[in-house]
Amino acid sequence: MTAATAVPPNAPLSVVDDPVEQGRWTRWISGAAGERLGESSLQLSGMYCAACAGIIERAIAGVDGVRSVQVNASAQRATVCWDPQRAQPSALIEAVRGAGYDAVPDAAAPARALRRLEHRRALWRLFVASFCAMQVMMMATPGYVAGPGEMAPDLWQLLAWGSWLLTLPVLVFSAGPFFGGAWRALRQRRIAMEVPVALGIAITFVASSGAAFDPGGLFGDEVYFDSLTMFVSFLLGARYLELLARHRAAEALEGALACLPETAWRVAADGSVTAVGLHRLRPGDLVRVPVGQAFPADGVLEGGSTQADESLLSGESQAVPKADGATLIAGSVNLGAPVLMRVQRVGQDTRFEAIVSMMRSAMSQRPASARLADRWAAPFLWVVLLLAAGGAAVWSVIDPSRAVWVAVAVLIVTCPCALSLAAPAALTAAARGLARRGVMVQRLDAIETLATAQHFFFDKTGTLTEDRLQLGAVQLTPAGHAVFADLATAQARAATLAAWSSHPLSRALAEAPPAAAPSLPQAAWSGIEELAGHGMRALDEHGVEWRLGAASWVDADAAAAGGARVWLGCRGQALASFEFEEALRPGTATALQALRAEGVAITVLTGDTPERARALAARIGVDDVRAGATPEAKLAAVMASQAAGRRVAMVGDGINDAPVLARADVSLAMGQGALVSRSQADAVIASNQLGDLVRARRTAQQALRIVRQNLAWAASYNALCIPLALVGWLPPWAAGLGMAASSLIVVFNALRAAR
Amino acid sequence: MDSLYLLIPLSVALVLAILAIFGWALHGGQFEDLESEAERILTDEVGPLDSGQAPEQRQREQSRGSN
Amino acid sequence: MASSAAMAAPAASARQTDGVYTDTAVRLFALAAVLWGVVGMLVGVIIAAQLTWPQLNFGIPWLSYGRLRPLHTNAVIFAFGGSVLFATAYHVVQRTCQTRLFMPGLALFTFWAWQIVIVAAAISLPLGLTQGKEYAELEWPIDLLIAVVWVSYAIVFFGTIGTRKVRHIYVANWFFGAFIIAVALLHIVNSVAIPASLTKSYSAYAGVQDAMIQWWYGHNAVGFFLTAGFLGIMYYYIPKQAGRPVYSYRLSIVHFWALIFTYMWAGPHHLHYTALPDWAQSVGMVFSLVLLAPSWGGMINGIMTLSGAWHKLRDDPILKFLIVSLSFYGMSTFEGPMMSIKTVNALSHYTDWTVGHVHSGALGWVGLISMGALYYLIPRLFGRNTMYSVKAIELHFWIATIGIVLYIAAMWIAGVMQGLMWRAVNPDGTLVYTFVESVKATFPYYVVRLLGGLLYLSGMLIMAWNVVMTVRSGKVAHAPIPVVAVAHA
Repeated sequence: MTAATAVPPNAPLSVVDDPVEQGRWTRWISGAAGERLGESSLQLSGMYCAACAGIIERAIAGVDGVRSVQVNASAQRATVCWDPQRAQPSALIEAVRGAGYDAVPDAAAPARALRRLEHRRALWRLFVASFCAMQVMMMATPGYVAGPGEMAPDLWQLLAWGSWLLTLPVLVFSAGPFFGGAWRALRQRRIAMEVPVALGIAITFVASSGAAFDPGGLFGDEVYFDSLTMFVSFLLGARYLELLARHRAAEALEGALACLPETAWRVAADGSVTAVGLHRLRPGDLVRVPVGQAFPADGVLEGGSTQADESLLSGESQAVPKADGATLIAGSVNLGAPVLMRVQRVGQDTRFEAIVSMMRSAMSQRPASARLADRWAAPFLWVVLLLAAGGAAVWSVIDPSRAVWVAVAVLIVTCPCALSLAAPAALTAAARGLARRGVMVQRLDAIETLATAQHFFFDKTGTLTEDRLQLGAVQLTPAGHAVFADLATAQARAATLAAWSSHPLSRALAEAPPAAAPSLPQAAWSGIEELAGHGMRALDEHGVEWRLGAASWVDADAAAAGGARVWLGCRGQALASFEFEEALRPGTATALQALRAEGVAITVLTGDTPERARALAARIGVDDVRAGATPEAKLAAVMASQAAGRRVAMVGDGINDAPVLARADVSLAMGQGALVSRSQADAVIASNQLGDLVRARRTAQQALRIVRQNLAWAASYNALCIPLALVGWLPPWAAGLGMAASSLIVVFNALRAAR
Repeated sequence: MDSLYLLIPLSVALVLAILAIFGWALHGGQFEDLESEAERILTDEVGPLDSGQAPEQRQREQSRGSN
Repeated sequence: MASSAAMAAPAASARQTDGVYTDTAVRLFALAAVLWGVVGMLVGVIIAAQLTWPQLNFGIPWLSYGRLRPLHTNAVIFAFGGSVLFATAYHVVQRTCQTRLFMPGLALFTFWAWQIVIVAAAISLPLGLTQGKEYAELEWPIDLLIAVVWVSYAIVFFGTIGTRKVRHIYVANWFFGAFIIAVALLHIVNSVAIPASLTKSYSAYAGVQDAMIQWWYGHNAVGFFLTAGFLGIMYYYIPKQAGRPVYSYRLSIVHFWALIFTYMWAGPHHLHYTALPDWAQSVGMVFSLVLLAPSWGGMINGIMTLSGAWHKLRDDPILKFLIVSLSFYGMSTFEGPMMSIKTVNALSHYTDWTVGHVHSGALGWVGLISMGALYYLIPRLFGRNTMYSVKAIELHFWIATIGIVLYIAAMWIAGVMQGLMWRAVNPDGTLVYTFVESVKATFPYYVVRLLGGLLYLSGMLIMAWNVVMTVRSGKVAHAPIPVVAVAHA
């Protein structure tokens, strides 16, 4: 079935002037003279060269009331500041169209603005940390290269004070997220990775400050400001890369939001039709729904008949016939004929919204998957504290003056740089590798869960199958045998006629691989008519009328056979029939086989009828099929598996899959799926190939292996350094060098996850 | 090495000043849409003039040329 | 010098027309650059000849090598290089901000005051009035004037940026801005002196402290005056001449930030094996090596701007100047860190290798990029698309390049030879060679160096002729500021 299209391209622009709609992509600011100005973001299309940006800027600037316009060429976006007293957004779009391009309101603008803010803040923190780290390193170098007694103590102290001063911004500002995260974790009585990190930073700073201002005192006379600042820089660098990966995935998703606001055509009492934004509909309104548009609200059909594609909502793979008085569901697509609908429920009350809110509550109850690295945090912390305390205790007996700073040295040297980089570095690299192969990861933690998921649930319609039908069996009636030489000729003739229609079945017929050369070129048909709910009729080259469509349309005597049969007939006699079946996505069978070979349990969950579900399952060799499942039933199935102790993965595409995607331990949505599912899932299979799912799982497993390797390396590095620190043999330059080297090793190892 | 008593505090002050300048640039949006900024110097220049032209004529020439 | 008639007219007509750039100071500085280039290189040839044949000192104090050398360095760095930087900075900042200069009158003041500085230097240095600090020889009254000019320069430049019509500040302006601020800081700190009379002062610093500060100044003068400033020139004029944007604009920004904060610490590499503490020397060495990375990043960025359009190099001599200058930049910024390694420095210090290194950077990088930029700029300032004779540009390029190669090859050989000779020790610990013997051995290389310098000067004279012909055949142009459709800022 065709995916829902938002609005036919010739929808009127006036809807963008609706203030209610504007709230999504316009913000109101104050101008220089205090007047109210709008700042809107438009997504542009048709830009193919560097000069296009300038042309569009000039076109928009020419609209009266525009204060300023800036076109971002690489992102194909325009930011326009306009005066609502003199200009309207529709004029802006018209100006762009007049220049030969196109524009739609950019509803993703608020989200993008938030991301830009987040990006700036992260970059700012990173710059402050790394810039200061470089300067502090410069000030530390004299201390490293000078031999004993070569540098006057005053001078050494001057350099130490300078380093202290430049470490302050790093501590107070750049390291903020670590202290904040540690505080939040402790308040929840948890030990996350931020806790040892924050502790390490704080202790390093306090001890180094003590040594700087009172050398030879309690904290010894070594300063570690360079290690501290370098450490913070590395961690922030890793977080920055993570942020970039996350933002890239979000942007890929938001491409779908660039469309004209959804409109409905409201029929007034006097029969006039106006376009209104969806948000303006009220129960009791009468709306006209053209073919190809989604029904804007829940309601009943008033007059006429049609078919609706409800696959995204229920998984029903066949078009559902709707007669006068039938229930229509918001979000399903009108396939047959333009109809009138009486609105019954809008907005939050529709079935669509009910599914969405079910999804939201499922999300909040999702089992928390503890990150692998966080699980190491607590034991690591206790061990380190124990060792430090132990070291201090021992030294307080041997030489009390060194007790404190030996303990401090242990805490500094075990600063968990490599440990806290271990997982993020590998996961970020894995996410990049996955993105290159067509799987966009939206939550990095999902990679770990994907690697260990044991039970995979698959939706059928649109996930395992393509969202369109394909031609199956062709049969000839006895009369047909007299007219056509073979099946192929019959198919060819039907195909040329079907090519004139845009009905999904016609398209499937026309697109089927031609079995023979058509005896009649497409252009030879004349007098073509299509009657919704019945079929097509046309005259061939001899003026004879042929009909293609429902059995009753083609042959009044034919028994009305159900199902997806389309008939071809001539002069009231049925000649051939065509069956249709769901098209399996290429590679599905092999993908599921591969998963099963790796020991994964597979269940197909679908809202479609049991016969069709079983037929498909037989084709792909799956035994466990739950058919006729409502979203509630799907959710229950997943929860039951989770209750049995298994880690569950869900792969779906429809709106009805959204709650399950929210609840599963790890969820993947198909790239062609409904927006709400794609935004909910942990990852999106942008390529729509299930083979990529298998590859993604293998990449995830590789990533997990690398994370474990990194953690092991980080642990062993620490194990090596702690005895040295305990004995008092670890000078600052060695600590800094070791920290840098071990972090780099972890990062380079992590890069392998991208392959 | 007494000169360092001058040079070190000077460089610390410099570092803070440089941080401030970078912060101003970052939050002022100086690092956005870099590709078009690199192109801008190539497209904005008016073509070489015939220096015998009067200013108004030159303006007309230029606005014609830019479309 | 160009016809003064063309000089007088611009001031008046620029006031009449609105919506045009204020290029008077640009024109003046550009032409002055050519003049001072010839003068500075001529003095350079003279002192090269004097080193070869000391008789050429003639026993006349104000013609002696010791007094002419600082005249040469000041003339080429501040008179020639300085004029180029003033001209291009005023030109680029206007074009990239799409607005006229802030306080164009002050810009004109900087021109005339700078000429006074140069003339004062030309008079005082041969008279032997000097502070004795390298690249900072000028006595205190001139230092004060320089400070005044520099503050004015900063006001004009940053004022123009502050009143810009384009929100983004093009990367070249960042380099210019850093250069202006750094030089102000360096000049003021290093030139602090106690005047004893109008023509004599004593540095506020003494001994090895003075040395440290002097070379903190000295190296950063090279780094910001001769590198950052000219990198700004590179980032504007190469894209303009090649008609292509910078290879990676993002890299250019990273390049900028990486460069400015590594440069500050490289100074001590001038003082290896001196009274400067060992650890300070080591720090200088380490960070000089670190400097290699950002420098080469910039070089690659500039050269790769031609990626996909290398064929333009064949026919366009201006591009030849601009791109070849970058290869010399790369060479010098590799050679420099190598020479700052202590063991290498033990051989090279005080030899002519240092001179070779300086001149590969000065003639190769600073000289060629200046010439390329001026060849782009001057015709356009006079209403033309190209110089009077493009063939002359091509000739200039080849003569200059051959001159550079001769010069630095001669100095490399001489330098290594000197270093080896000076350290050659007999088994009993006595020196093998006397100093005079090393001087004698260097003689032929001085001749070759003189030849190289003569070639370079000849190229400059060709340029001067070409400029005169261009100005004569053009007319002062008034470039309109493009109508900015909307306020971008």
